[in-house]
Amino acid sequence: MSDEQLSKMIERMAQTKGVNVSPELLKEAVKRVVTVLSESSMSAQAPAHKGLDPKRDYPLAQKRPDLVQTSTGLSLADITLDKVASGKIAFEDMKIRPETLEYQAQIAEACGRPQLANNIRRAAELTRLSDQRVLEVYESLRPYRSTKKEMLDIANELESKYQARICAALVREAAEVYEKRGRLRRE
Amino acid sequence: MSKRQKRFEVLAQRPVNKDGFIKEWMEVGLVAMDSPNDPAPGIKIQNGKVVELDGKLREKFDMIDLWIADHSIDTSIAEKAMAIDSTQFARMLVDINVPRAEIVRLSVGLTPAKILDVLNKMNVVELMMAMQKMRPRRTPSNQAHVTNLKDHPALLAADAAEAAFRGFTEEETTVGVGRYAPMNALSLLVGAQTGCPGVINQCAVEEALELSMGMRGLTAYAETVSVYGTEQVFVDGDDTPWSKAYLASAYASRGLKMRYTSGTGSEVQMGYADGKSMLYLEIRCVMLAKGVGVQGVQNGSISCIGVPGSVPSGIRAVLAENVATVLLDLEVASGNDQTFTHSPIRNTARMLMQFLPGTDLIVSGYSSVPNYDNMFAGSTHDCDDYDDWLVLQRDLQIDGGLHPVKEADVIAIRNKGARALQAVFKEVGLPPITDEEVEAVTYAHGSKDVPDRNVTEDLRAIEDFMKRGGNGVDAVRALVKHGFRDVAEAVLGILKQKISGDYLHTSAILKPNFDVLSAVNDLNDYQGPGTGYRLEGKRWEILKDIPQAISPEDI
Repeated sequence: MSDEQLSKMIERMAQTKGVNVSPELLKEAVKRVVTVLSESSMSAQAPAHKGLDPKRDYPLAQKRPDLVQTSTGLSLADITLDKVASGKIAFEDMKIRPETLEYQAQIAEACGRPQLANNIRRAAELTRLSDQRVLEVYESLRPYRSTKKEMLDIANELESKYQARICAALVREAAEVYEKRGRLRRE
Repeated sequence: MSKRQKRFEVLAQRPVNKDGFIKEWMEVGLVAMDSPNDPAPGIKIQNGKVVELDGKLREKFDMIDLWIADHSIDTSIAEKAMAIDSTQFARMLVDINVPRAEIVRLSVGLTPAKILDVLNKMNVVELMMAMQKMRPRRTPSNQAHVTNLKDHPALLAADAAEAAFRGFTEEETTVGVGRYAPMNALSLLVGAQTGCPGVINQCAVEEALELSMGMRGLTAYAETVSVYGTEQVFVDGDDTPWSKAYLASAYASRGLKMRYTSGTGSEVQMGYADGKSMLYLEIRCVMLAKGVGVQGVQNGSISCIGVPGSVPSGIRAVLAENVATVLLDLEVASGNDQTFTHSPIRNTARMLMQFLPGTDLIVSGYSSVPNYDNMFAGSTHDCDDYDDWLVLQRDLQIDGGLHPVKEADVIAIRNKGARALQAVFKEVGLPPITDEEVEAVTYAHGSKDVPDRNVTEDLRAIEDFMKRGGNGVDAVRALVKHGFRDVAEAVLGILKQKISGDYLHTSAILKPNFDVLSAVNDLNDYQGPGTGYRLEGKRWEILKDIPQAISPEDI
């Protein structure tokens, strides 16, 4: 479906429900839907841009704005003061998305910083968790908070629910170490 | 003694003799950088796995050993790097013909005891030379503390505005009363963006609360995520290397810059140093941070400076821990942030170790408020030392991150910061900031000069603000509505940093136009005279132009 077809469809849907939509709002809505669609089709594969070059591509905001979008599909240029002030763009529209973090990980890697890249890749996975869940998992990882089973359950949840494989591996490793070092919650 | 020698009587009264000094005491780890209990360097690798680290077998590894062995050390380079004689490695650190990149490539193959051995070969001048070459970002910078005894929001905003205006690129606050945290964060956000767009702010409180404020866009980075060099102290700090590694990723997942904090003396202070030298334990922290993949570390003893400060070679060890950080290609926020001596001479000498070579953030942070208002227990330098700092920069032609200012400009910017926050408070339903308060904070030296707030009302209101999901965008909207478009644009600029993630990279700071300056696009390229960061040209013209200087035309 093209953007145009999509916008017509949304317009029709809005009309049948008696909602009056401004062309600008419509454009925003289309953009968000398109991003969500393209994201779900992309999630199975790695992002298309492999191996960014720090000299050519960094900082992304200046040199590769085409690669930077929010989690709701807005570009940096879309986020203007007036749109934020009028409420057309909300705080929720200003979150980093996993693809952007993957690009930053590639830049870190190209700079010879594989550990930093790995941290940023774990972060890309955690973008899929709500703020609340991110904080809860952190709490569960602190010493004496969880049993081994509880930790392994979290690892499974991270993997199956959020496709957070690197984070899941970290939690499994922690469960092993905590058991060995006596840092699990005693039942 | 029945009869005192008069000179000794005078000496006894000198500030330096109010300081505490202690002879080395190896068993409890009261030794700076060379304990007989420190292990000998060594590594054994089997099938790509570290099976022995500094003489300890894998079965005996504690959590920190395990983390370092499995995440920090690059086993593909370890044997080669460990084979280099320590004196030779130390020479490479000061040799202008060995580029930084070559040392960074090898350093990830070293064990903690090896790094300790290398640093022990170096005197302070050599350590400073190493810092000059190895700090990740070419351009040095500085961080400010912005706090006050009353947690007065308008005063925080005015101070944050002034600090940003004076040139600090980072601002750190904390609280007198814990529940004030989000209000203090908001006050700094608005104040800093008024003073100079792009200055990032943090609020040092408990880990989970600190992260949640970042998630709301009230802070732009975090620093006080503490790590320790022995397992017992780490766990007493209510974390493990794994929980802290997860936390590091959690910050980055919201597009927030962060660094760890550690420092010599913390393990002694908390009672579990295992008889090891302070520097050995600190190197373990730095290596742990490297393996986690955080972009940087704040160290230089930090809040435990009294401990290394009391033993021989302690201040040298503090510089050495900063060097250990940059050796591993990590951003260093190099301490100098807590009072440790009564002697102004000692205080300056300690600071010169970072000031002269330049670091990513020389003081972390410099108290932008009077000593009595510093809620981090006082920094080495405060607002009353601004002119000394500027003159030292001018005397030595060194960029310490600050520039001369005019009184009228500071009055104007303090006033604007307070009025901008006044507008935000009005719109987001926080207890009003009165015109009298704005006037008082504009001209204040510290919180003694400003009226008290109704603390109960403030706390109730800020809790309510957090409950209903208040965030950085609320501030942007309020600022636009009240005509502070430039400040609104700057606050929005900070929020947008979290979308591109450019400032997640090593040693990133923001320029006033929001361009990122990091160890990616401003990598330190020092290789002797004529290279690296040079204070010259326009920047030198600005820094040398202190208002007190008389010009020839005036004579």
